[in-house]
Amino acid sequence: MNSPLPLDPSLPEPLARREFLRMLAAAGAATLSMSAPRLLAESEKVVQPAATADSVILIWLAGGMAAPETFDPKRYAPYEKGLSYDRVLSTFPAIPTCVDGIRICEGLENIAQVMDRGTLIRSAVQPDLGTILHSRHQFHWHTGYVPPQTVACPHIGAWMARVLGPRNPVMPAFINIGQRLEGVGESEELKAFTTAGFFGGEYGPMNLPFPEEAAAAVRPPKGMDAGRFVNRDREFRRLVDATPSRDLLSDHQHESMLRSMDNAYRLLSAKERAAFDISLESPEVQKDYDTGRFGRGCLLARRLVENGARFVEVTTEYVPFFQWDTHGKGHETVAKMHAEIDRPIARLIRDLEQRGLLDRTLVIIASEFSRDAMIEGRPGSKAKDQAFNKSGVMTSPDHYGLHRHFTGGTSVVMFGGGVKKGHIYGATADERPLVAIKDPVSISDMHATIFRAMGISPKTAFDIEGRPFYATVDGKGVPIPIFRS
Amino acid sequence: MRSPLLAGLLLTASLGAAPVDFAHEVVPILRKHCVECHAGDKKKGGLSMNTRVSLLEGGENGAVVTAGQTQKSKLIEAIVSADPDVRMPPKGERLSPVEVATLRAWVEQGAVWTEGFAFKKPAYEPPLRPRQPVLPEARAGRTHPIDRVLDGWLADKGAPTPVLADDATFLRRVTLDLIGMLPSAEEARAFAADRRPDKRALLVRSLLARNVDYADHWMVFWNDLLRNDYAGTGYIDGGRKQITNWLYVSLLANKPYDVFARELVAPSSDSEGFAKGIIWRGAVSAAQAPELQYSQSVSQTFLGINMKCASCHDSFVDRWKLRDAYGLAAIYSDHPMELVRCDIPTGKPAVAAWPFPELGQVDASKPREERLAQLAALITHPDNGRFQRTIVNRLWHRLMGRGVVHPVDAMQTQPWNQDLLDVLANRLVESKYDLKAVLEFIATSQAYQSRAEILSRDADDKGYVYRGPRAKRLTAEQFVDAVWRLTGTTPAKIVPQVPRAAPVAGAAKKPVIEPLLAAPIWSGDIAVGRLPAAGETRSFRRQLALDADVDAATCVVTCDNGFELYVNGKKIGAGDNWADPKSFDLSASLLKGSNQIVVVGHNAGKVPNVAALFFQVNVTLKGGVRVRMATDTAWESTTSVPNARGTFAAGKAKAAEVVWQTVALVKGDAWRMAEARMAEMLAGVEGSSAVPARASLMKSDLLQRALGRPNREQIVSMRPNELSTLEAIDLSNGQALTNLLSAGAAKLKKRTWTSPEELARWLYLSALSREPAPAELKVAASIVGAEMSEQGIADLLWVVCMLPEFQTIR
Repeated sequence: MNSPLPLDPSLPEPLARREFLRMLAAAGAATLSMSAPRLLAESEKVVQPAATADSVILIWLAGGMAAPETFDPKRYAPYEKGLSYDRVLSTFPAIPTCVDGIRICEGLENIAQVMDRGTLIRSAVQPDLGTILHSRHQFHWHTGYVPPQTVACPHIGAWMARVLGPRNPVMPAFINIGQRLEGVGESEELKAFTTAGFFGGEYGPMNLPFPEEAAAAVRPPKGMDAGRFVNRDREFRRLVDATPSRDLLSDHQHESMLRSMDNAYRLLSAKERAAFDISLESPEVQKDYDTGRFGRGCLLARRLVENGARFVEVTTEYVPFFQWDTHGKGHETVAKMHAEIDRPIARLIRDLEQRGLLDRTLVIIASEFSRDAMIEGRPGSKAKDQAFNKSGVMTSPDHYGLHRHFTGGTSVVMFGGGVKKGHIYGATADERPLVAIKDPVSISDMHATIFRAMGISPKTAFDIEGRPFYATVDGKGVPIPIFRS
Repeated sequence: MRSPLLAGLLLTASLGAAPVDFAHEVVPILRKHCVECHAGDKKKGGLSMNTRVSLLEGGENGAVVTAGQTQKSKLIEAIVSADPDVRMPPKGERLSPVEVATLRAWVEQGAVWTEGFAFKKPAYEPPLRPRQPVLPEARAGRTHPIDRVLDGWLADKGAPTPVLADDATFLRRVTLDLIGMLPSAEEARAFAADRRPDKRALLVRSLLARNVDYADHWMVFWNDLLRNDYAGTGYIDGGRKQITNWLYVSLLANKPYDVFARELVAPSSDSEGFAKGIIWRGAVSAAQAPELQYSQSVSQTFLGINMKCASCHDSFVDRWKLRDAYGLAAIYSDHPMELVRCDIPTGKPAVAAWPFPELGQVDASKPREERLAQLAALITHPDNGRFQRTIVNRLWHRLMGRGVVHPVDAMQTQPWNQDLLDVLANRLVESKYDLKAVLEFIATSQAYQSRAEILSRDADDKGYVYRGPRAKRLTAEQFVDAVWRLTGTTPAKIVPQVPRAAPVAGAAKKPVIEPLLAAPIWSGDIAVGRLPAAGETRSFRRQLALDADVDAATCVVTCDNGFELYVNGKKIGAGDNWADPKSFDLSASLLKGSNQIVVVGHNAGKVPNVAALFFQVNVTLKGGVRVRMATDTAWESTTSVPNARGTFAAGKAKAAEVVWQTVALVKGDAWRMAEARMAEMLAGVEGSSAVPARASLMKSDLLQRALGRPNREQIVSMRPNELSTLEAIDLSNGQALTNLLSAGAAKLKKRTWTSPEELARWLYLSALSREPAPAELKVAASIVGAEMSEQGIADLLWVVCMLPEFQTIR
């Protein structure tokens, strides 16, 4: 009786059954509730891990940061007219860092000096999705789910806001710095994942596209002095109290609207709103960070985390064909991007450390995929080559660079937040194709790792439209072993 | 391998040992080991052991018990297996050998079941066909069928009848609910002064007769439900298509809902955007293939079925199976489909079918167009109560704040009052699927006109109890429209080109609309089957002889795709959207004697395509004689284009070179709505430029997004009812709202007010449809201040717009 019965070999039965048991374990006692998804009471109890971080700063290098040009230098070949693409793996030579055995690319000298504070993951991989569309891969990276989905997927920041809530009650839990959502290409696609999705607006991002204008976002409206603002709120309360419908005051919806108005007023009048004002920093500090909008965003992110923000994303901004989206002039553009990110990121790490915050703040540097001089997608991919110059040799310096989207091996750096220091995880091949050859990390596992740091199980699920929706797809993400102790 | 012991027992059983007693032997075993996960609401693996039928139906991997055949019964296999992936129950105590033997014997003997026995209350299955509920007697003279049902229900529960709302509350509620706008201060005063006993019913009717306002408002509901928008994901690379024009004209004409649904289920090129869904570039999961999107959208929108679970695997929460989802998909698909379970192909073909074969079935062997037409007919089948109940429930939710079935897409679940749902559905059918008639039916009930329920924090924790209508939050569009109107800042332009027509002056008076005389024409070449070239431009002309001076003359004109109109060498006007016909007053342009009408028509597109010109002029001559002239085969056409004066040449010689040909009538009914519109315009209905913009017809912006207008990538049937903190921040210091209020304050400052109190009264009446109470008036006037500065006015505007009373429809 203890040996299994023979199964029909023509049926993929064990697999199907395994799959289906997994679904069952998840289904739980689901009821149809569409307005407010509830945390699922699992039949299989989810154990939330102990958090190693309280805040996340996601540094998003949108557009496809080439790993061989940043954190995973390969064989370098300087530009010369007639240089064949197949000879180019990196267009920047490698430099040493403060950690023996870790080399990164020239141009990142400041970051090189803080590599002992974090883990460099060199084996992140992405699916090809048949075609390379930045916003689609960005959607995947930010929500953990490949679009399209039948329900509106929350951004990972919204997960933090929903599951953990704000660290400081007056500080929005999820703040998104540096990305315009209006007036830029593919903005509708960006909006699709810059959202709390089915969690609802309460967990959505506070969008601050211009760091230098962030202070205005929490100040009284333009042209209104503080006295008038305070007075206006007081008059508002007086008028509410003067309503002749006394019974309304006990109405739940009425009450909850007033509570939200009150929360808003509290932030707009709280001392924490100073956190949004980077001009309060000393000129020296401002100057050190100020390599541009991104650098100022890093400074803002630091101030927000100091004042209790839970999840902050700061980006070099996605605008098709700009910044890291190098379809031409790759080398020149990446050199500019190096200059834009190197100082502020390094300064951010040091500042957090100096304030004793780095240990409990997970700082992540990531992008939707890497780049290569020759391969679009990954080996065997049918993705359409989107490089501007497609010939075999370079006839102009504009051709020098990694102009293809590469999904086979990407670097992600994590600092602080309980991850190992001066550590490397995974590796890519030294010769093309530069695919991950050791410990590949999927997006699900990457998310599981971030969730793990924040004390959230990758199996955490919410009941949405009667079915479970997990922090990582099917609850299957597995954190990678990069944590100390 | 089976153990000898088991084989022995099996032998004994099948050799006719005493029959197994289902109730006393089998039920306890199943109850102990199985039904926790496989009965009642639980159907793990799609398997329910609740009843014999459900057990024999099996789960998503097929049959589990085959009566009389233990070999084919996976149930037996699972209870003895040691494989952790196969064994059942998956954890905990195994079945004892005796229990296993009992189940074996039971299966072997035919899995006999006590008639009518079920482990748990059977899962609710809603009625499919329409029902004719018997209405309770009217109480207290409340004869409206909705009130008879609800009053009867309340009496049964011994619950109090909700008190009628006052006129001001009713006016604001019904105006916002039916046309999405605040009643103006004048409307509020007039309604308060109205002494007619049936003024509420009259108001409902007059609001519904405001066709443009109605269409503008309900665009919000339908854009959400059909995931249509003027910008959004997918449009960037042609992976999505708007149905805006089709939708707008359908609402404007109050298209019968069954026709409306059929045009979406089996679409034309105007309405196919809904069926097409959103096609993302690159590989997508099987459950998001366009055909599956069709399956999900059609079932959710029209039948209140959530097919999303079943698009990937048999649903764990309701009765829909993978094959149901694929059945609908296969109707739409232009290629054979295979069932794909959680992205793994199963090898089983999908068979075109819809989920209610009781009403008939789609013939899978027919071509796609026929299958779609069959599906459309089945969905709108008179016996398909599900279709009727789904839409009336949505309308009830919009007006009453909560669905009779709630959430509104969960039509598989039990309504709190089946008779109510059926009374509503039957009204829909009796009115020939007239949605306005259903709205009128609801809005004229005493139930709708009652005071809104005061919600407690735990209102629905123990299930819903009807206590009157529930307050709704203003939609983003309603909020923005309201602020625009209060502040006089309504923008001039709307985004989509939709044929908006102003409401007829004198609400109840219906104009006499004559059938349109104008026929669609194009050059004679089309009679021999040639399609007009893309970008083709032609001129068309006709003489109009008038015997007397002109008293009045109105013309209408439209061209697929654009036109310029000249009368007697003078350019009158132009249009570039065939769906938006233009009307011009020609009384000063037409003269006694011969008149030359020239219309230059343009075709658009990238490949040859149908083009058509419509023109009609109605003239009343001094003395009362009417003359009508319209496009017909008597017109002439040329490829030449006139000069700026609408004439073809300066000298005689050149004019002679212009070759005028005959024209031909164009076949097709793509212009039906435009034709209807032109007939209306000739009957004196104003042109669209007179209608102020509405937020529903604008692209979403930061303010609307901040107030909860969704992205519309997924179907949205209910928007959040609560204000979030981030939204409150936007309302408190967002630049967009601040600018509107400042501009409004500047405008209001310019008006003549005798006192701050007068302004406060006006604002209360305009924004809340009521007079302020003395305490409110005092505070409001003090905010404005004696000097009535712009700042003071702006602050009062903000304060009033932030009141929960303003932000909700109570």
